[in-house]
Amino acid sequence: MAVRRRPSIPNQTAAPPNPDPGGDPQPPNAAPSLDQFSLAPPKLGLILSVLALFLIPFFYLLFVHYQVESDLRYYISICVALSLVGFVFTVGLIPVATRYLLRRNMFGYDINKRGTPQGEVKVPETLGIVTAIVFLVVAIVLQLCTLTADSDWLVEYNAALACICFMTLLGFVDDVLDVPWRVKLALPFFASLPLMMAYAGHTSIIIPKPLVPYVGLSVLDLGVIYKVYMILLVIFCTNSINIHAGLNGLEVGQTVVISFAVLIHNLMQIGASTDIDYKQAHAFSIYIMWPLLTTSLGLLAFNWYPSSVFVGDTYTYFAGMSLAVVGILGHFSETLLLFFLPQILNFLYSCPQLFGFVHCPRHRLPRFDTQTGLLTGTNDMNLVNLFLRLFGRCTEKSLCIRLLIFQALSCLMCFGLRYILAGWYK
Amino acid sequence: MAVRRRPSIPNQTAAPPNPDPGGDPQPPNAAPSLDQFSLAPPKLGLILSVLALFLIPFFYLLFVHYQVESDLRYYISICVALSLVGFGFTVGLIPVAARYLLRRNMFGYDINKRGTPQGEVKVPETLGIVTAIVFLVVAIVLQLCTLTADSDWLVEYNAALACICFMTLLGFVDDVLDVPWRVKLALPFFASLPLMMAYAGHTSIIIPKPLVPYVGLSVLDLGVIYKVYMILLVIFCTNSINIHAGLNGLEVGQTVVISFAVLIHNLMQIGASTDIDYKQAHAFSIYIMWPLLTTSLGLLAFNWYPSSVFVGDTYTYFAGMSLAVVGILGHFSETLLLFFLPQILNFLYSCPQLFGFVHCPRHRLPRFDTQTGLLTGTNDMNLVNLFLRLFGRCTEKSLCIRLLIFQALSCLMCFGLRYILAGWYK
Repeated sequence: MAVRRRPSIPNQTAAPPNPDPGGDPQPPNAAPSLDQFSLAPPKLGLILSVLALFLIPFFYLLFVHYQVESDLRYYISICVALSLVGFVFTVGLIPVATRYLLRRNMFGYDINKRGTPQGEVKVPETLGIVTAIVFLVVAIVLQLCTLTADSDWLVEYNAALACICFMTLLGFVDDVLDVPWRVKLALPFFASLPLMMAYAGHTSIIIPKPLVPYVGLSVLDLGVIYKVYMILLVIFCTNSINIHAGLNGLEVGQTVVISFAVLIHNLMQIGASTDIDYKQAHAFSIYIMWPLLTTSLGLLAFNWYPSSVFVGDTYTYFAGMSLAVVGILGHFSETLLLFFLPQILNFLYSCPQLFGFVHCPRHRLPRFDTQTGLLTGTNDMNLVNLFLRLFGRCTEKSLCIRLLIFQALSCLMCFGLRYILAGWYK
Repeated sequence: MAVRRRPSIPNQTAAPPNPDPGGDPQPPNAAPSLDQFSLAPPKLGLILSVLALFLIPFFYLLFVHYQVESDLRYYISICVALSLVGFGFTVGLIPVAARYLLRRNMFGYDINKRGTPQGEVKVPETLGIVTAIVFLVVAIVLQLCTLTADSDWLVEYNAALACICFMTLLGFVDDVLDVPWRVKLALPFFASLPLMMAYAGHTSIIIPKPLVPYVGLSVLDLGVIYKVYMILLVIFCTNSINIHAGLNGLEVGQTVVISFAVLIHNLMQIGASTDIDYKQAHAFSIYIMWPLLTTSLGLLAFNWYPSSVFVGDTYTYFAGMSLAVVGILGHFSETLLLFFLPQILNFLYSCPQLFGFVHCPRHRLPRFDTQTGLLTGTNDMNLVNLFLRLFGRCTEKSLCIRLLIFQALSCLMCFGLRYILAGWYK
C-alpha cells in the first residue's frame, strides 16, 4: 500500500502497529489547482514490452509446445483477446477516474520523494477501483463467451465473481472511509464466504510420500478444516500483498509477476494432463488470471516509477482475492503459496513488528536522502528494508526492480522444485 | 434520492435534466463540530411495530393457512431469524458508519427543511452501504444454511449475489465520485450481466387468452429478446426507485412496501402450487426478500421522518437490483411490475421533463413554507408534486405516508387483479 494521507481529517483513529506505509499527515505546500490537473502519460513502451514478453511464451506453449484441444485453444484465445480489450479500457479510464477521485480529495503525497518537488504533488489514490471494475466486466463477458448455460463451472464462476466483487466493495469502502486496521484484517473473511459454499471439491490432502509411514495414511480428509484453511489462505493472500508495499509499482508489479507464473503453471498442467476436469480447473484459472494480468498492466502503466497514481487497498485486496480464488477453485493452492514465497518471507519477517514485540512505527519505509536521491534501509523488519541493508543503498526504481526480480526468481525456483519433487512427494 | 450536496466541489459536471433532487450547493452556516456528532436515536417503536405487522400475517400464511412442506417451513423460518439478526446489525452499525462518512465529508443538507434550524444540520449520506453489506453477509450465510453443495439453485444464488454486489459497488462508486447522470443510467446494465448467464429458464411468454386468436400462438418464444427485456427491467427497477424520491423515508419506505408484497405473493404461490421447481423459485425469492426487508427497516429506523441519515444512490440501486433479480430468477417479473405501478406512473409522468420537452430544474421538489411547515406542490411532473396539487398542502411526513399508502393500495389492487384475471388471461 503506497503512501497516502488525506488532509483535514479530524478524529484520526489511533495509529496501530500499522505496517502499511501511510502518507504525510501534514500536506506541505499549497496544492496545484485541480482545474489544471492532467495525468502524466502512461509508460506504454515499458508496459507493452512486458506484455509482449508474456504473450510470446504463453502462445508458444499454447499452440506449439503442448497438444491442447482446439476448442480449449479457441476459448483461451478469446480470453486473451478480451483481456487485451480490458487493458485498453483500463488505460483509457484511469485518467478519467483520477479527475473524479481528486475532486473527492482522494489523494496522497509520495513519502519516498519528500523534500523534492515531486513530494508535493497530489497523487490520486484508489485507482485500483478502475482495474477492478474493468476486470469484473471482462470476466463477466468472458463467462458469456466461454460457458454454456448448463456448464458445471457456472457455480464456481459466479461464486468467484461474487467473492472478488464483494472484496472490491469492501476494499473501496475501506479506502473511502479508512476503517480501523482490525476491521481491515477481517474484511477478506466476509468476502470469501461465497467461496465456502461453491467449493465442491475434495477436502482431502495428499500426504507427502516420505511422511506416509509416520502419518499412517496416504490421503487425509480434512473436511471442515480444509475450509478453514481456504479462509486463512484468502486472508493471507490479500493482506500479504498489502504489507509488501511502499515503493512505486511494487504492489501491482508483484501481482503481475505472480499471475503470469500462475498462467504458465495453468498452461503446463493443461498440456501435461489428460483428465478433463483437471484441465477445466486450470482453464477456469486462466479465464480469471488473464483479465487480472492485463488490467493490472493497465494500472502499472500509470503506477510504475514515478507513480502518477496510487492503487489503494482496493487494488491489493482485489488482487489478493483473485489469486486466492483461482488457487482454491482451480485446486492448486499449494503451488500458489509457493509463488507467494516472498510475501510469506515478508510476513514472517514482519511478525515481530506486526504483533507488537518490536516497536512498529506508522510507516516502515526506508529513509529517503534528498541529496543523493537514494533510499537507505532502516531497521524495520520487512523485505524492502532488508534488501537495502543487504545490497546497499539504491534508488526507489532499482529497489523495486530488485524485489520484482526476486519475485520472478522465486517463481522460477518453484517451477523447478515442482518438477524435481513431482515423483518424490506425490 | 434525498437531498445531498457536498461543499467545495470545483468542476461540477453540468446539471443535466437531473430528476433526482439534490442538495443546497451553498452550505448555510458553520457546521457543528464533528467531535460532538451523535446520531438521533432510531425510531425503533415505529419500526418494530411495522415489523410485527409484517411478521404476523406472514407466519400465519406459512404455518396455518397453507400446507407447506415442513423442510420448507424450516428453511423459511431460519431465513426470517437470520434476517432479524441482520436488522439488529444494521441498526447497530449505522451510527458507527455515520461517523466515518461524515469524516469523509459525505453528507447533505435537507432541502425540505431549508430555513429552519434543521436545514443546517449535516446529515450523513450513503448509509445504504451499511444496509447492502449486512444484506450481502446475511444472504451468503443463508445460502450456507439452506442449500446443499449440489443444489441446482447454487448457480442462481451466486449469480444473484454477484449482481447485487456489483450493483452496490457501482452505486457506492457513484455516491463517492458523483458520476455523470448518463453513466449513472448505464450502471445497472453492467451489474445485470451475471444474471444473463445464470438465467436458464424459459424465454417464452404466455400470450393472454383473449389475444391468442390474433397472435396465432398460445406460447411465444422470445429468446434473446427476453434477455433484453430482463436488462430493461433491471434498468427500470433501479432508476425508477431513484426518481420516486425526495421526501424523508420515501425511497426506503417504497422498497419495504414492495418487498413485503413480494413476500406475500411468494408465500401464496408456494401454498397454492404443487410443482417443486415452481415452489423452489418462490422460496429463492423469499431468501433474498427477507434480508432486504429487515435491513431496509433497520435503515428506515434512522431515515424515517425526520431523517437523521440519507440513503444515497447506493441504496436505491441496491434495492432496485434485488427486486429485479428475484422477479427474474423467480419467474414472476410481470407480477413484480404490477407492484411497481406507482413507480411506472411516476416514470411516465416524469418523461416530458426527463427527456427535456419540458424544462427540468435541478431539483423537482415541492416548495417548503417555513411559516406553516407545509409543502406546496410545484408544477413539476412527478407523483410527489401531483399528490400535493391534488390533495392539498401537507407536511412532509403526511405526504410520504400518503404516497406509501398509495403504494400499498396499489399492491393490494394487484393481488386482487391477479385473482380476478387468473382464469381469464392465463
